[in-house]
Amino acid sequence: MFETGVRQLRMALSMTWGRPFDTGSLTRLVADAVATVAEFGELGLEAREVIETPFADDADRADHADRSIRRTARRLADLSPFYAELFAASGFHVGTADATTLLGLPTTTKHDLMSRPRDFLCRGSEPHLATRTTGTTGRALEIWLSRYELEVAAALGALSGVLHDELHGDDLMQVHVSSRATAAVQLASMTCRLVGARCRVLGIIAVDDALDALAGSATTMSVNASYLAELVVAAQARGLRPDDFRLRRIDCVSEILSPAVRAAAEQTFGAPVSDNFGMTEVIPVTATSCSAGHLHHDLTMGHVEVLDLRSGDPAAPGELGTLVVSPYFPYRECMPVLRYDTRDVVRPLAGPATCEQAGIPGTSAVLGKASQLVEVAPGHVVTPRELVEAVEDLPSRPWPARFHAEPEGGRVRIDLPAGAVDGMSSAGLTDHFAERGLDARVRVLDDHRAPSLRRVRSDLRELGFVAPEPVGA
Amino acid sequence: MGTPTSTTLPTFLALGVAIAGTLLTMALSVLYLRHVRMERPAIGTFNGVDVVVVFGFIVVLPLLYLVLPLTPLLVVLGLTFTSALVFGLRPVLGPAATWIVVGVVIAANIWMGRTMLGTVVGWQLFWIENDLLVVGAAVATANLYVQGGMRLRHVAWFGLVLAVYDAVFTFVWPITNTLAQRFIGWPFDPSVGFRIGIYNATIGLGDLLIYSLFVIAALKAYGPRAARGAAVISVLCGAVVPALLPLITDVFIDARTDVIVPAQAAFGPAAFLYYRWLRRTYGAERTMAGFLGRADVDRQAPTPSFALSVP
Ligand SMILES: [Zn+2]
Repeated sequence: MFETGVRQLRMALSMTWGRPFDTGSLTRLVADAVATVAEFGELGLEAREVIETPFADDADRADHADRSIRRTARRLADLSPFYAELFAASGFHVGTADATTLLGLPTTTKHDLMSRPRDFLCRGSEPHLATRTTGTTGRALEIWLSRYELEVAAALGALSGVLHDELHGDDLMQVHVSSRATAAVQLASMTCRLVGARCRVLGIIAVDDALDALAGSATTMSVNASYLAELVVAAQARGLRPDDFRLRRIDCVSEILSPAVRAAAEQTFGAPVSDNFGMTEVIPVTATSCSAGHLHHDLTMGHVEVLDLRSGDPAAPGELGTLVVSPYFPYRECMPVLRYDTRDVVRPLAGPATCEQAGIPGTSAVLGKASQLVEVAPGHVVTPRELVEAVEDLPSRPWPARFHAEPEGGRVRIDLPAGAVDGMSSAGLTDHFAERGLDARVRVLDDHRAPSLRRVRSDLRELGFVAPEPVGA
Repeated sequence: MGTPTSTTLPTFLALGVAIAGTLLTMALSVLYLRHVRMERPAIGTFNGVDVVVVFGFIVVLPLLYLVLPLTPLLVVLGLTFTSALVFGLRPVLGPAATWIVVGVVIAANIWMGRTMLGTVVGWQLFWIENDLLVVGAAVATANLYVQGGMRLRHVAWFGLVLAVYDAVFTFVWPITNTLAQRFIGWPFDPSVGFRIGIYNATIGLGDLLIYSLFVIAALKAYGPRAARGAAVISVLCGAVVPALLPLITDVFIDARTDVIVPAQAAFGPAAFLYYRWLRRTYGAERTMAGFLGRADVDRQAPTPSFALSVP
């Protein structure tokens, strides 16, 4: 108790004053939390305030953001060649940096990171793990993380997992994200190790092998939306039911999760699906979805803005904008970014939220990549989410959705493989999309063209010589 | 009616005070553990380091007592009693009533300690008030630790170390007696005591605390039968043996004929052996969650009385 108090105090001081975390102390604090749950069955009241900066009100939140931005910018000016140059070129004064002056600084793009990766490495940092984006959009981007960053992110993730009862020592976490997403995989296994849970990293393997491993064994699953869709289809084809699984939660990361797939997954696996936002470039800043379908952003570890896609000014409520994220020091130190333009499109909420996370600022769910928006007419944009949700809601359940969309004479033309529209008339299809707010014309293509219509993460198949047998559970 | 000899009256007074104080504190601690849930920190459970920290206080505080002038010492003691009582009463009475009750008890202790000690009856009234204060503090502190996750293993080791400490400080470097004498006649005397005639008999807060810890940690870990065994050991080794020893030998009687016995020296080893036996017989200790899962324990609010009859 005494030691725990000291460790908690040290963590609180780091969070408040921005001093680097003592990762050893943080790691032992996770062990304390695990021991607390073992002794009492749950953490004490007010545990939430231990890892989430308790913002009393908006002013408090703004103050935290301003101080964190100034601290982060100061460090970048000293140690990051890219930002030292950018600040000088754009007349950005770190001494007066805050959420308002930050608006005058150009955003950092994926292109910046790709073209000058070395200039983003802070002087004196010790890169440890390279992780490459497995994005479906273009060339891979490489980000280096230090051991410190991984240890801090894993410990805070583990604390949050224990706190929200999302992970405990009896759990077996099965991981179905690409094995090449090294940071995500590493963090999953480190988090499990800290909590004392088992971790089974399988990657994107043959779905039947994944189901064999899952059945009667794993209690939590971390998975991409497209692979989850494939798992649901395969599980239903095999007649598997919730009784065949021990899952208690499914964490979906990246990609658009449609309500149709989500409902089917919950029905088939018998566990709630949570839809989260996370991105390699802005680790460890994340967002979680609430019951109202909003995305609520973690503002303790980073600054989150929504910027108008054209003007770059803050997007108006209800308008489309790109998520721009600035992870704070001391959470990121090795190859940090400031005002990183994720190109993930959201809408700021039009009014005050009334959901269970109303206290945490939110946006809409991610509606898709900015490059994949379909502008059918000036000022009328169709988002990838609308399309994915409508296609995955087709009676044939073509999961994950394979389609191509482009504007055509003021409407949206949707190319779909024949299998997806099986048994539907042209009029029926038009009605289906019209009911979902889409004025669409459907063009039917051969099934063999399906995979090339839309790339999804479950396409990143990992091969083996023989089907692996699950062991250890 | 013959006058008792100079050794028998103090001996039986000491025996009575020790047994009554120990039994009352243990019984109230058990009742409290069964029915009252204290607040605990968000993260953290009692561990070996906490045993060391508590022991550190026990070692350092008496030294402070010897060094500090009386007034700051009384302030420290007053604050200690106040916080222990507030912690203990708040879950029962709510914040407002707690502060009123604690305020009255503390104020009465100061007032009685300063005005009523001219007569034997005054002394007796003061002792009764002070005893309430001390028993309350011991019950609250014991529960704070055990409800905070202190295990019987911790208590057993704690008792063993205290045994050595107590023996050393009684025979080798006898400040225990100096301490006991120093507080008599002042408010916030950290002992349960009573006076008959010219004799004051006391049993220290620390002794009561360790006996209560032992009993309720045994209750939490292994259930009521184990707790009854722990209570017998506490009363015999902690109260009866130390009180009767002076009848057999006179090494425990100091120049002023006050009885000074290292009670912990008898209790510590017995408690430790009992713990080892329980562990060997019944296996691992129950956690607080396991204890609270039992039907005869209140998780949150008081349960209807029929729940108490469930085994
Ligand atoms: Zn919400």
